[in-house]
Amino acid sequence: MKAYLATIPAESLRQKPREAYYAGQKRLFVLVVIAVAVLPLVAINWKTSSFYQKSWLAKTTGELSGFASSRRELIDRFLTDQENLLGAFTELYDRQYLSRPGNLARLFQAINKSGIITDLGVIDANGRHLAYVGPFADQLAGRNYAAAPWFGEVMRQGRYVSDVFTGYRQVPHLVIAVAAPDHSWVLRATINSAMFNGLVSSANVGPGGDAYIISAGGELQTPGRLGAGKAAPEDLALLRAAGADGHHARQQGRYLYAVTPLNGGAWWLVLKTDIASSLQEFYQARKIGLALIVAAALAILGVAQQLIRSLVNRIEKAEQQRMTLTGKVREVEKMALIGRMAASVAHEINNPLQVIGAQAGWVEELLEEGVARQGANHQEELEAIGKIRQQVKRAATITRRLLGFSRHQEGPWQAVDLNQTVEETILLLEKEARSQRIDIRRNYQGDLAPVVTDASQLQQVFLNLLHNGVDAVEHDGLITVTTAKENNRIKICFADSGPGIAPDHLEKIFDPFFTTKAKGKGTGLGLAVSRDIMRRLQGDLRAGNGLEGGGLFTATLEQPGTEMAPARNEQNRGSP
Amino acid sequence: MTNEIRLLLVDDEKDFLEVTGKRLARRGFAVKIALTCGEAKAILDHEWPEVVVLDVMLPDLNGIQFLKEIKQKWPLLPVILLSGHASVQSGIKGIECGAYDYCLKPVDLEELIERVKIAYQESRAV
Repeated sequence: MKAYLATIPAESLRQKPREAYYAGQKRLFVLVVIAVAVLPLVAINWKTSSFYQKSWLAKTTGELSGFASSRRELIDRFLTDQENLLGAFTELYDRQYLSRPGNLARLFQAINKSGIITDLGVIDANGRHLAYVGPFADQLAGRNYAAAPWFGEVMRQGRYVSDVFTGYRQVPHLVIAVAAPDHSWVLRATINSAMFNGLVSSANVGPGGDAYIISAGGELQTPGRLGAGKAAPEDLALLRAAGADGHHARQQGRYLYAVTPLNGGAWWLVLKTDIASSLQEFYQARKIGLALIVAAALAILGVAQQLIRSLVNRIEKAEQQRMTLTGKVREVEKMALIGRMAASVAHEINNPLQVIGAQAGWVEELLEEGVARQGANHQEELEAIGKIRQQVKRAATITRRLLGFSRHQEGPWQAVDLNQTVEETILLLEKEARSQRIDIRRNYQGDLAPVVTDASQLQQVFLNLLHNGVDAVEHDGLITVTTAKENNRIKICFADSGPGIAPDHLEKIFDPFFTTKAKGKGTGLGLAVSRDIMRRLQGDLRAGNGLEGGGLFTATLEQPGTEMAPARNEQNRGSP
Repeated sequence: MTNEIRLLLVDDEKDFLEVTGKRLARRGFAVKIALTCGEAKAILDHEWPEVVVLDVMLPDLNGIQFLKEIKQKWPLLPVILLSGHASVQSGIKGIECGAYDYCLKPVDLEELIERVKIAYQESRAV
């Protein structure tokens, strides 16, 4: 008993943490889905995009670098070609020949088919302009260059290439001057710098990129995107970092740079690509991809949560059903235990009752004779003994009912021959009945098919009904037991030749504790328990009066053997 | 008395056994009592009882087992079983094993005497 009481609060306590447990399970499932489905998606996207970015950077750096070196060769060759051309003229012609009017003009016409050289001039060792061909003849006539830094340079080195400058022409240009082998005169040409503007700006540097040449002093030699003027300070810092070896490509800030020295280190070619604007389309694609992933992740989460919720709910419901079932099983076990306890208690009490009854009887007998017979209290003593015996009988009735009550769980279900079951029960009671000159007549239907039921409980019912019959008849009478099959039902009738059941008792006869027997003889439980048993065996028990008077109790049992019965018939037909 | 019935009473409850023995003796029975199967066997061998009243629960041997032994040796000797266990199954088992009758404890003395007499008369008739 103690064990059962202890389980009840424990079970109710377990209810609350269980809810928390399921909520925790749901959260765990959602986390697992995120970890298994969403995280890999995000990781793949991130890895792909960073891989693409890296490879784009590497490729673009390589391209820029290659482009820079090819342009350097081109520009350096161009400058060298111009120098060599002028050098060749200083060797072919002398100062006097070129100073004569018309000769320089013819030479200019011969070499200027491409329009690269915009003018030509001949200057003597003292800086005087001896001859000039070009659009600025008026402004330059008679000019002396002796003080100009470039003139000193060319006289010292033999050759000179200027930075691009606007000068008084108001047009960007650069000057190439070559001294004659004996340094007695100088041939000077102005080069249209627009020529290599084109060479540089044709570099494919992408949107937001730039390509230009700057001098070592930071002066822009070709107009970049920003136009002429000084280069940006960060560009200069990059050039300084590049050092003497020159050729160099790297990422700095939002730009990818490729720089290379030109013109013997006097100039630098700078190519830069704006990473962000070049990758703009990629970034756009990446944004769309990210949005798609977020949408997919949300969809996965939503679906997963729905699935998990319904799954967990179903598990919870199953768990509840299991708990209910366990509770029922426990209830049945508890009832069985109580039943067994009741039986053993009743059994144990029967023995002392037996002793009490026997001793009381003995005292009564002694009182009947001995000296006490003359005593004043003799009558009262006898009455007291009588009451003791009466109460023993009463207690015995109760213990018998308790024993009967406890047996409801007993017995396996198996195929039962009803005629045999009835017969066995009659045997138990027949001698008692005969001692009261009550005859028990059998009226069995011979071909009853077996019924699957609990024989021991059925016998309990039959015994109760037979006892009732014997009690009703009292002595000198007849009890008729009939078995018969009727449709899908088997009827077992117990008819007695007693006084019958009064009409107003018929309604109450199955009520618990209803009895017409003398006080102490019956508990009023026998018929109630019997009908309860029959109903549990899927049958019923009815009470009434027979046609010739006397009580008639009819127990019925379902025999759902409609499928079994024809099969058996066919078998019979099959075997001769 | 020449027509007194020789009765053997076997039960492990001494208080019941002795008093019932005395009461039955007063009513003209030649009563022998036994607390165990061992004692009962000795009496059966030497005293020739005509009816046996046997408790199903005995300390040294199961009453049903003892009933079988009695029935093997003396098939015609009527045995009335006495049990505190009101199970129909145990009653049927007893009858199947050859018990003549089956009484539930606590049994009324007059009822017991009635059954003993019927058993005795029937065994005589055979």
